[in-house]
Amino acid sequence: MSIISIKNLSKTYNPDTIPVHALRGVDLTIDAGEFTAIVGPSGSGKTTLLNMIGGIDSPTTGEVIIDRQNITALSAGELIRFRRDHIGFVFQDYSLLPVLTARENVEFVMQLQGKAQSECDQRVDELLTAVGLRERDNERPGKLSGGQQQRVAVARALAPKPRFVLADEPTANLDSRSTSDLLDIMNRLNQDEGITFIFSTHDQRVIDRARRVVVVEDGVIKEDTVVA
Amino acid sequence: MILKLSWRNVWRNKLRSLVIIIAVAFGIAAAVFAGALTNGLIDQKMRIAIESQTAHIQMHNSAFQENMDIRHSLPDADFFSEQFAGRDDIKSWSGRIVSTAMLNTANGTTGMKLLGIEPEIEKKVSAVSEMIIDGAYFEGARRNPIVISQRAATKLQVRLRSKIVITMQDIDGEIVGAAFRVVGIFKTPSAMFDEGHAFVKQSDMAKLLNSDKIHEVAILLKDIDRVPETVAELRESAPENVEVLAFTEVLPELAAINDSGWISNLILLIIILLALAFGIINTMLMAIFERIREIGVLMAVGMQKLRVFSMITIETIFLAMIGGVIGMIIGDIILRIVSRNGIDLSAFAEGMAEFGVETIVYPSIDTKFYLLVTLMVVLTAIFSSMFPAIKALRLKPNEAVRHK
Ligand SMILES: Nc1ncnc2c1ncn2[C@@H]1O[C@H](COP(=O)(O)OP(=O)(O)OP(=O)(O)O)[C@@H](O)[C@H]1O
Ligand SMILES: [Mg+2]
Repeated sequence: MSIISIKNLSKTYNPDTIPVHALRGVDLTIDAGEFTAIVGPSGSGKTTLLNMIGGIDSPTTGEVIIDRQNITALSAGELIRFRRDHIGFVFQDYSLLPVLTARENVEFVMQLQGKAQSECDQRVDELLTAVGLRERDNERPGKLSGGQQQRVAVARALAPKPRFVLADEPTANLDSRSTSDLLDIMNRLNQDEGITFIFSTHDQRVIDRARRVVVVEDGVIKEDTVVA
Repeated sequence: MILKLSWRNVWRNKLRSLVIIIAVAFGIAAAVFAGALTNGLIDQKMRIAIESQTAHIQMHNSAFQENMDIRHSLPDADFFSEQFAGRDDIKSWSGRIVSTAMLNTANGTTGMKLLGIEPEIEKKVSAVSEMIIDGAYFEGARRNPIVISQRAATKLQVRLRSKIVITMQDIDGEIVGAAFRVVGIFKTPSAMFDEGHAFVKQSDMAKLLNSDKIHEVAILLKDIDRVPETVAELRESAPENVEVLAFTEVLPELAAINDSGWISNLILLIIILLALAFGIINTMLMAIFERIREIGVLMAVGMQKLRVFSMITIETIFLAMIGGVIGMIIGDIILRIVSRNGIDLSAFAEGMAEFGVETIVYPSIDTKFYLLVTLMVVLTAIFSSMFPAIKALRLKPNEAVRHK
């Protein structure tokens, strides 16, 4: 069953000055449980595509349908709530709040949702255990390595039980050891819990771990391969 | 959660936050101190005016104030004794014969308001008896004693025991005169009062004027805050041609000074707070500029605009309020220290005397002023928080997230 369905998506930045056609007519369907890499050279439109799927940016034409909901039709406020409740985000630079501890970072979105503290505590314990950082829960991000921070970020993305997780070059700042640890964790969560991951990457080692590879070039999909 | 986040954000850039907090603290401390100084001056001016001149309440014949015609007199003292009997708000009162008079010596002449008083009674209403710098306040049994101010003594070139000839119009409009002998010289902090007032015994003045009618009743209350009520009550019961005035009506300048003191304090406060507001706004805009990406991420993961707005607002308010509270505490501590010994402003002695105060000022502040400062600090905090918070709201998540 498809959870994401993109139809004829295009995005032109600065349409009035120097137009940049970041995406030109992308069609893509993602099913629940996928572990999909969006790959392509720099400037090809990977981030733009992920931002469209995540409802952070709005397309020039086309639509993004998530669970039968056309999110391009949502208002800014509705979109924020939609992202909060249904989409997990992981960023290249981890983007944890430096003033919050690992635990507080993970529970942050649940707090925004107004979840009870006991529910948050339980979920955070579960997730920090899953990413192997249960013992460091009271550390602030500054005290953690890049790999550890990114694992906290994955836990944060998963906390509100989103429909899928979008990760824009999650391993670009990591050494190969941390990269493979993170991929192990993501892969396990995908296999055991059925969590859908969509991540962009340049890195061949990451591409090799994906089970579907979507190649984007010049704003269009060049290749779409499902790895056996 | 927002509170926690805002609070911790305040301490992210400790140095920058401390700088602005200290600036706010000093600004507020300075405003509190300057306000207290103004207040102290005004309080003192009022106190001195009340003690030496106006008392709390005065009563006159309604027609008397206009041209000081001594025929416009009040009922006898017995009448007032009866009126005031059983009133426990009145501490003391004194009836005075009042007339304009010329004081003449071989070396000079000056016009004055001459008050005919019963020294033992007047002492309980006016503090002039405590401000004698030479001689005594009507002691001894000399004939026609007079107590004049040091300023008048200098002007007339008289000393203790010198003779002064006083001329006035008596009750029939005849010019009458008599010689008086200086028995005491006083000096109040108010130059204006000193230049215009002299005291003689009531019986001596009555004899000269050919009338023992009094023209002024000065009343001191136990509690200055009771003045408006007592004035109202006395007005109820006073005969038709008797007017009852609060000290602020006797000397309208007192009320005006009090008001203008408040206004100048307020203006000073507003100026200081405006300057501080710009500092706060600048600090917060810098903080937001550094955190564009972070705020973008917050919005991306689902933080509603209102929450982003509150987060920045509360952070700004924390900055302002911490500084404000510290400033008020510092101001208060300085005040406590300084008001013990007062501030010696004798460098400005002449100006102080013109204003009618002593050279040592005791800064003082009332709760009303602290409330005003608190309110203004809160308003400033809210005002300053609006710009950064709106700035944060304007960030678009897609651009903010891409911001490096
Ligand atoms: N806000 C913007 N305004 C104008 N042009 C933009 C904007 N954001 C992206 N672009 C342009 O759109 C194109 C696609 O950018 P995008 O960031 O999606 O590429 P990418 O595949 O993620 O590249 P990278 O691998 O470098 O992250 C690029 O040419 C980029 O310069
Ligand atoms: Mg990118």
